[in-house]
Amino acid sequence: MVDFSLTPDQESLRDLARKFARGEMAPHAAECDKTSRFPEEIYRKAHEVGLMNLNVPTEFGGSGLGLFEQCLIVEELAYACGGMTTSIIANCLALEPILLGATPEQQRRWLAPFCAEYHLASFCLTEPSGGSDAGALRTRARKDGDGYVLDGEKCFITNAPNASLYTVFATLDPELRTKGITAFVVPREAKGVTAGKDEEKMGHRASSTGTVRFEGVRVPAADRIGAEGEGFSIAMRTLDQTRTPIGALATGIAQAALDLAAGYALKRVTFGKPIAEHEAIQIKLANMAQAVRAARLLTWNSAWTIDAGGRGTLESSIAKCFASDAALHVADEAIQTFGGYGYMKEYPVEKLLRDAKLTQIYEGANEIQRTVIARELLRGYA
Amino acid sequence: MQIVVAVKPVPEAETRLRVGAGGTSFDPEGVKFVLAGYDESAVEQALLLRDAIPGSSVHAISVGPATRTEEVLRASLALGCDRATWVETPAGTPLDPLAVARSLAGALGSPPPDLVLCGKQAGDDEAGLVPAALGELLGVPDFGFAVNLRWDAGRSRFSLDRPTEGGLERWETPTPCVIGLQQAWNDPRTAKLPNILKSRKAPIAKAPAAADPGPGGVPEKFELPAPRTGARMIDYKTPEEAAQKLVKLLREEAKVFP
Ligand SMILES: Cc1cc2nc3c(=O)[nH]c(=O)nc-3n(C[C@H](O)[C@H](O)[C@H](O)COP(=O)(O)OP(=O)(O)OC[C@H]3O[C@@H](n4cnc5c(N)ncnc54)[C@H](O)[C@@H]3O)c2cc1C
Repeated sequence: MVDFSLTPDQESLRDLARKFARGEMAPHAAECDKTSRFPEEIYRKAHEVGLMNLNVPTEFGGSGLGLFEQCLIVEELAYACGGMTTSIIANCLALEPILLGATPEQQRRWLAPFCAEYHLASFCLTEPSGGSDAGALRTRARKDGDGYVLDGEKCFITNAPNASLYTVFATLDPELRTKGITAFVVPREAKGVTAGKDEEKMGHRASSTGTVRFEGVRVPAADRIGAEGEGFSIAMRTLDQTRTPIGALATGIAQAALDLAAGYALKRVTFGKPIAEHEAIQIKLANMAQAVRAARLLTWNSAWTIDAGGRGTLESSIAKCFASDAALHVADEAIQTFGGYGYMKEYPVEKLLRDAKLTQIYEGANEIQRTVIARELLRGYA
Repeated sequence: MQIVVAVKPVPEAETRLRVGAGGTSFDPEGVKFVLAGYDESAVEQALLLRDAIPGSSVHAISVGPATRTEEVLRASLALGCDRATWVETPAGTPLDPLAVARSLAGALGSPPPDLVLCGKQAGDDEAGLVPAALGELLGVPDFGFAVNLRWDAGRSRFSLDRPTEGGLERWETPTPCVIGLQQAWNDPRTAKLPNILKSRKAPIAKAPAAADPGPGGVPEKFELPAPRTGARMIDYKTPEEAAQKLVKLLREEAKVFP
């Protein structure tokens, strides 16, 4: 039997996230957006209550949640602030390669001390020369004695200016394309690592994003994740896990936009009645509600598929792509519902549009998601 | 020290209540019951005292139907209470303050625990009677509206303040005693995710409700507050006209000045 109800456990996790989002995050969302402030005190609290390393097993000090529970939490957080949510869940992205590819000894060595305290990690895949074509990355890992030397630059890396640990993808030989890519764990304080400044962004301004340069950085073989040449597969399997929560993040933004628009439509009076009584606005709200619900259900479906042991490449690409497009559309319609006020920074809806936009770009741009969806889909017809 | 904190399930603050079938209460269908702010403060205080006084434990107790009490007891466990007891009342039984106090007194037994903490009043009906009734039934001192609860280990006494009109009264009390606490003066903690998951699996003890609930009042009618009447917009062309119309309305309709 298909069942869409939440268990009491799931409800209590969602309630915790809701309380945290509305009590701790929402009051600072506008201010952090305006000034591009990285609210470290909120991220510390998120760690303290257990909302940070959601995917890390409890034996290593994480919350040990399945993807479905992660999605419930991420949607609630994003309802309050997409940018803060991006920074809060970036650890899940950065640590996933360790969960997927590292030995139990490495996992204990890296994860336990990392999760015990408030720390940020960054997932370093994208480079200035390209993000979508990850197989063409240029950061080099040269063999040197019993280890490697890294040289290269990563860009658009979430939390990079504030992180203490990087999971880095580099190639042993660019000629080998995907087969040369290898994953490493590099502490921020390693010699030759330079994190760039926080970039000025359109949205997600409470999150930090920056470059990381590696100049002759020595990495011992013990800090390699998986085998040589396994890095590309680890990166792709990581994104298979983390794409679905981006669907949840987009759903949270979309739900916030719908709630604001509906609330405003009931109050704003034109031509003698609330605009909610004009059919054009009703149709808008009805379409927005459909988009939000469909985004949530596709996200849940993807999470459920992966929690049940499926690979979920198709489901997670559909969820991420649909939910992020929905978020952009719903935020846009929310602004339209607000009219001129919607365009003003004094009102909260224009931020939602700027925040929604990123969800179409990161963790695999939607063009790439569609390529993946089509490939997976057509396989079933061939 | 044995510390008991009595918690009441109340509808979540944002709930839109509807009048129930009998017209004497709200309709509980779809209503989410949570720990009220006053009770959160009481739990917080209980935990702070437990951690400060060696050999202490905190026991959360709640009276009502399982559908409502389970969640607040689990929330109390998630915050750090050591154990929880549900005083079972059949669904639909009206729970007036005296009946609740009798059930609590029965479940807590004699001798009474060293300290019973409550919110000073419930987050929903705000009656504020249970701490006083419970103190009477247990035959121990009781205080309502308390803040700044402190334990003086040397003299084995609690001291507390009660805000009054323009000042604070300071009181001292021996144990056992019952204390109703003000809301949010102690910044209640947020339950941590792992503790929430643990609390879901923790056992909850069961105790019977008082056989004789006592001569409590019977609710006669439950009504929602009348909807607020909307704001009036004034049509105007110039600020002078707006001011003139406003003054006229204030004088003739609102009658705020002659
Ligand atoms: C705020 C922010 C945070 C980020 N955080 C991280 C992070 O933590 N870690 C990390 O590694 N990366 C991160 N990224 C990078 C992000 O994942 C990339 O920006 C994204 O993958 C796209 O890569 P690109 O920017 O190089 O665009 P390109 O790959 O240059 O693509 C440009 C455009 O062409 C399209 N395109 C490219 N190839 C194809 C194709 N084959 N078919 C059709 N269309 C195509 C793309 O969809 C896009 O529209 C972040 C980005 C941003 C903006």
